[in-house]
Amino acid sequence: MADAYVALADGRVFEARARAPGRTRGELVFTTAYTGYEESLTDPSYEEQVLTFSYPLIGNYGVREERFESDRVHPTAAVAREMTDDVAAWLEAEGVPAVDHLDTRELVTSVREEGAMACGIAAGPDATPEAAEEELAACKGMSDHVDIGKQVSTDESYTVEGGGEFDVALVDCGAKGSITSSLADRGADVHVLPYDATVDDVEAVDADVLFVSNGPGDPANFEAAQELVEAFAGELPLAGICLGQQIVARAFGGETEKMAFGHRGVNQPVRDLDSGKVVMTTQNHGYSVADPGSLDVTQVNVNDDTAEGLASDDESVITRQYHPEANPGPHDSLGFFDEVRDLAERTHSPVTAD
Amino acid sequence: MSGDDRTILLIGSGPIQIGQAAEFDYSGAQACRALREEGARVVLVNSNPATIMTDPEMADEVYIEPITTEAIAEVIERERPDGVIAGLGGQTGLNVTAELAEEGVLDEYDVEIMGTPLDTIYATEDRDLFRQRMEGLGQPVPKSTTISLDDDESVAAVDADALRDRVEAAVDAVGGLPVIARTTYTLGGSGSGVVDEMDELEERVRTGLRLSRNSEVLVTESISGWVELEYEVMRDADDSCIIICNMENLDPMGIHTGESTVVTPSQVIPDDGHQEMRDAALEVIRDLGIQGGCNIQFAWRDDGTPGGEYRVVEVNPRVSRSSALASKATGYPIARVTAKVALGKRLHEIDNEITGETTAAFEPAIDYVVTKVPRWPIDKFDDTDFTLSTAMKSTGEAMSIGRTFEESLLKALRSSEYDPAVDFGQLDDDELREEYLERPSPDRPYAMFEAFERGFDVEEVVEATGIYEWYVERFARIVEASKEVVDGEFTPAAVAGFTNAEVSALAGNVFEDSSLTWLPETRGAWRTADATESGTEAAEAEAASADAAGAAAGGAAAEGDDGDAIPVSAARAGVGQVEADVPGRTYKQVDTCAGEFAASTPYYYSSRQPEWFAGPYEGDAAAGELRVDRDTDSVVVVGGGPIRIGQGVEFDYCSVHAVRALREMGVEAHVVNNNPETVSTDYDTSDGLFFEPITAEEVADVIEATDADGVMIQFGGQTSVDIGEPLADELERRGVDCDILGTSVEAMDLAEDRDRFNRLMSDLGIAQPEGGSATSEAEALELADELGYPVLVRPSYVLGGRAMRIVDDDEELKEYIEEAVRVSPDRPILVDEFLADAVELDVDAVSDGEEVLIGGVMEHVEEAGVHSGDSACVIPPRSLGADTMARVREVTEDIARALDTVGLMNVQLAVREGDDGPEVFVLEANPRSSRTVPFVSKATGVPIAKLAARVMAGESLADIDASEAIPEHASVKEVVLPFDRLPDSDPRLGPEMKSTGEVMGTARTFGKAYEKALDAAGHGLPEGGTVTFTTRGDALPADGDDAFAEIRDGFVDYYDEATFDDLTEALKTGKVDLLVSDDRDALRTAVDEDVPYVSTEAAARASLEALSHRDDDIDVMAVSDRPRHTTDWGR
Repeated sequence: MADAYVALADGRVFEARARAPGRTRGELVFTTAYTGYEESLTDPSYEEQVLTFSYPLIGNYGVREERFESDRVHPTAAVAREMTDDVAAWLEAEGVPAVDHLDTRELVTSVREEGAMACGIAAGPDATPEAAEEELAACKGMSDHVDIGKQVSTDESYTVEGGGEFDVALVDCGAKGSITSSLADRGADVHVLPYDATVDDVEAVDADVLFVSNGPGDPANFEAAQELVEAFAGELPLAGICLGQQIVARAFGGETEKMAFGHRGVNQPVRDLDSGKVVMTTQNHGYSVADPGSLDVTQVNVNDDTAEGLASDDESVITRQYHPEANPGPHDSLGFFDEVRDLAERTHSPVTAD
Repeated sequence: MSGDDRTILLIGSGPIQIGQAAEFDYSGAQACRALREEGARVVLVNSNPATIMTDPEMADEVYIEPITTEAIAEVIERERPDGVIAGLGGQTGLNVTAELAEEGVLDEYDVEIMGTPLDTIYATEDRDLFRQRMEGLGQPVPKSTTISLDDDESVAAVDADALRDRVEAAVDAVGGLPVIARTTYTLGGSGSGVVDEMDELEERVRTGLRLSRNSEVLVTESISGWVELEYEVMRDADDSCIIICNMENLDPMGIHTGESTVVTPSQVIPDDGHQEMRDAALEVIRDLGIQGGCNIQFAWRDDGTPGGEYRVVEVNPRVSRSSALASKATGYPIARVTAKVALGKRLHEIDNEITGETTAAFEPAIDYVVTKVPRWPIDKFDDTDFTLSTAMKSTGEAMSIGRTFEESLLKALRSSEYDPAVDFGQLDDDELREEYLERPSPDRPYAMFEAFERGFDVEEVVEATGIYEWYVERFARIVEASKEVVDGEFTPAAVAGFTNAEVSALAGNVFEDSSLTWLPETRGAWRTADATESGTEAAEAEAASADAAGAAAGGAAAEGDDGDAIPVSAARAGVGQVEADVPGRTYKQVDTCAGEFAASTPYYYSSRQPEWFAGPYEGDAAAGELRVDRDTDSVVVVGGGPIRIGQGVEFDYCSVHAVRALREMGVEAHVVNNNPETVSTDYDTSDGLFFEPITAEEVADVIEATDADGVMIQFGGQTSVDIGEPLADELERRGVDCDILGTSVEAMDLAEDRDRFNRLMSDLGIAQPEGGSATSEAEALELADELGYPVLVRPSYVLGGRAMRIVDDDEELKEYIEEAVRVSPDRPILVDEFLADAVELDVDAVSDGEEVLIGGVMEHVEEAGVHSGDSACVIPPRSLGADTMARVREVTEDIARALDTVGLMNVQLAVREGDDGPEVFVLEANPRSSRTVPFVSKATGVPIAKLAARVMAGESLADIDASEAIPEHASVKEVVLPFDRLPDSDPRLGPEMKSTGEVMGTARTFGKAYEKALDAAGHGLPEGGTVTFTTRGDALPADGDDAFAEIRDGFVDYYDEATFDDLTEALKTGKVDLLVSDDRDALRTAVDEDVPYVSTEAAARASLEALSHRDDDIDVMAVSDRPRHTTDWGR
């Protein structure tokens, strides 16, 4: 007998096996990556979402903290065709419901056809289809999570030291650990600021670049971060990744929109309009930049032409819709962080040698 | 740049051999289409007539000529190509391109090497250069060193001490034994392996130095036990670079990837490790300047770091067996993209035909598990040790797709149609562990099941096999699931990947489908019941277990192996009961994108639904994600499964032709097949491609899902013919309205039933060798005595002459029966008069039930006694008179009509001089496709497989207006034998088929055609030098006979005769250039030392004829330019 149920907004209820008990809800999305489940499950951008793995077998190489992108699991639930005991035990310990033994391809193709949809889950000995439906009924749309930034951001500012060659003010809207470490690896001291940091907070760290991180949900709900970008435009070099790009675009007069089901995976092809070269990228976003405002689109998605990279005329702004920091996914675009360093160094006043 | 009118030369890979199978037909055929789409004129050269790529419509000019510099230079001279693509014809294509460049031919005619440059090829082929290059990039490689000869040094000149010194130094340099010794520039890792003893290493080095093209042997640090991975990479001229997929070998490092069970995508590598290897793969392909597809092998282990550590092992700068597998596993057409990249296209400018909305600039994502298992010819070569190593011994492979590893694995094993070569019941636990778990062999997966059946734990099996725990656990789960059947729980076994028929067998029923995955010997009575007739020990044992099952059926509950009683509910649950109780299969799409985009190409696999579902899917529900029109006329064509000896690429050729004929008629054609190397499993060959095991149950599912009106089982060789009866039963059980098209299953059965066939022949007044069938030893001895020795004996129902033998006396016959019964316990053996000195013929014909069209009559070069599949043959025949030909026609027509043949028929005849002139005997008739069909079509230009499909679909030969044709030139089919790949195998020809593939040589005379065929097969006669004779009088005349003198004198005209006291030594030291011998040991040494040899009288005479035409023009000509007469055979 099934001991887990997944209720979808289209009215269907799927039977499944409970791997970690609990009741929950969220926007049903899928990732097509077949490695990197630890990184994905700890990616803050999945906050308030139910993460379905389109690859059927999840957890094959165990669970190791060194591979986490943040200090907790972010999706409200995890769904796969089959999970190993390792990953199930981890999710149970984290209190995140998990289910398997259901036709996840059916879920994926439904999301593809009907768009990311609300879903409710009930898993465990007491689970019933009705419980899953109750959860579904209580599920909010992603844009309705207006305080989502608070859920994922740091409460207090802190600094990750990378050698002090330049200083980055990183606005943490749900930043992945690899963004911080990619910057620190290039010599930056990374000052991680809360999502609602003020102009004073940024000025206090004497940054060479203002960097807006990735994060979950609708960029329209990150007004404080947008105001920061507006305040420093023209004053400081600006960079952004994923939600960060969207916030930067909005600050430059652009618009963002919700996509049907977004891009989530590690195989999204992006073409640089200047060089013509195509690279593979990691992506995890449900909103995109529909209008770049006064910025230029420098890179596009080969599949659907969405904006993947933006820049300003004076080259003081560079952003990426995808995740150059990888983890999971290809390292093809790690060079982005070198560009950020170069940008910072242009404004950085070098420390006089003693 | 593209869309041009350039002429491109495409070189194929030649005959099917171990290490180079049908994958290059698939990639070549795909490349032909891709190049022509871009407007290029394609000139194709391949010596293998059994390929789709050599069909006249595939290229602008097709040359079936030897892949030698001589012949290809001639083609270049005639066709003046602008460019040649070297990376699509396997190692053969690559080597010959390198030679053409070295000889200056490419420069002379200004032929550009397109795609990957030659320097890159050298940089990857020469392992020392490769290692240096990797070290330059900072990429970790296994420590290694080479042992080589100086320019003027020969192996013979190096004494034992000097060799030992060099070998010891090499071993020290890489950190001690064990090491891997490899020869450079060879195919499929020939002559390489893990060596842990100094003496063995010396011997290998000595042989390796002789065989290597550049006199080098590489000695490498052994990274045995690491996980072996392959990455398929693609790069365009703009430096866009992608990974198509990675593949993980289930068997640890130390076993050739062609011999390993391989899984896609990798299962046990964390993202960090995967991305590090991905980075390395991209860095390497960029550094090497590869344009197109490429394969990189890695070894990886978990060293405690988040990503583990790796070594770069090898790069193949070309499409390969692995790229064919990767293409089928992901839907990404590597050969097609490679061809377009070679013309200058960028990845993002090439469409992804599968999704129809994306491009080739992406990395496929898959949402299923792919498993490949090799298929080995272990049943054919008793003397060869099939321990798996770094050298390939498998002839082909099967691939499967499932949603769990268990499902994928069981489907793959079932698809391989392999029977374990061991009776596990005879082994104690220690033998099982040492011989079948620790020692890697074709039987290891089955041994793992057996181990869990006996209660071994996962840790023990991990320890013994070195296979990653994650995999081993899943083998254990499969066995657990199979045990639950005993408790009446059928779903776990079904969901694990067993068929309903297998679950029913696990519940105590007789197994009634055609091929099975694995069923425990110790449980159930699943072997067929009629085995009891043979009265042997094995059959008696089975009878006993059948009784036990009978008792269970009687309600008394049989004992399971663990002593549990089988509950009444489980006992002998029929297929119908199982089917109603377990989740049905639905079809899912292979879409390259894990569901992210809606795909438009009909490429499917089945998967059981999770356990919450019960019962089969019917009607539209059965169609799942299928995008087929259930209302239109459609036919399912059943393919041939993995390539094996006796069932090669020719059946894929036939299947593809059937599909094409149906589509030309406006009938939708769906293919069921599981061989990833073939054209039939290309996504655009058919209207629906079902990558599935070939069993009656799974084919019936496809029929139901597509609502097909007919099914064709004539084209896929024995595999498809074997499902005839069970499929007819299954369709009837389900009440499915679908016709088995063409000749009836009943008639096919009649042709294989010796007694009934004999009666039919005598009614028709057609002569046959005297003989009959015997179901016991006593009967056989009596029969042999009546007929007089020698007699030809074989089991009924055989493939490729398996277990067929000529026996000379009672003793041999007794010995034979003991073995033969083990081979095929449920069938009687056949004992026939042996027609010595007869000329054998093969006839391929098509009948529509009334008219008979003869495709071609072939005369064997070898005499009766050599299996027809191993004999060279020539079309048209060279020694038959008009009367005999007329009789051949008459016999063929009579048999076709008597069997109500609709479709193809192959007849094997023998012509012997009788008192009233030549007499025609029939040896065998098979109303289905045969391995000579493509050869006949290439030689005559008459597409008989297509004609057959059309008549099976209801047309008459008169409607089609087809006519027979007799070629003016002689076409010789010569075979390729695998003895060099199979240590200690017996290189003598006999009634058991041993060849893996074939080539065709065509010229104005038989002699020249035979010479070309020998060259094409890679055993051409040497230019000059010495010839040595050693004959025993078996297959060659004995020394002293007149016939021997005649042959000797013939060869001595061309070579200097040399005699040796120690022939073995002479062969090893290169003193013999040509050996004429029927002595097993001498031939074996010749094979090991790569010395050309002639082993039968017929071959010797044909060789002499070839020598007499040696100076004739090579007679290179496009196939379509060869003259033919539209004349009927034998009229």
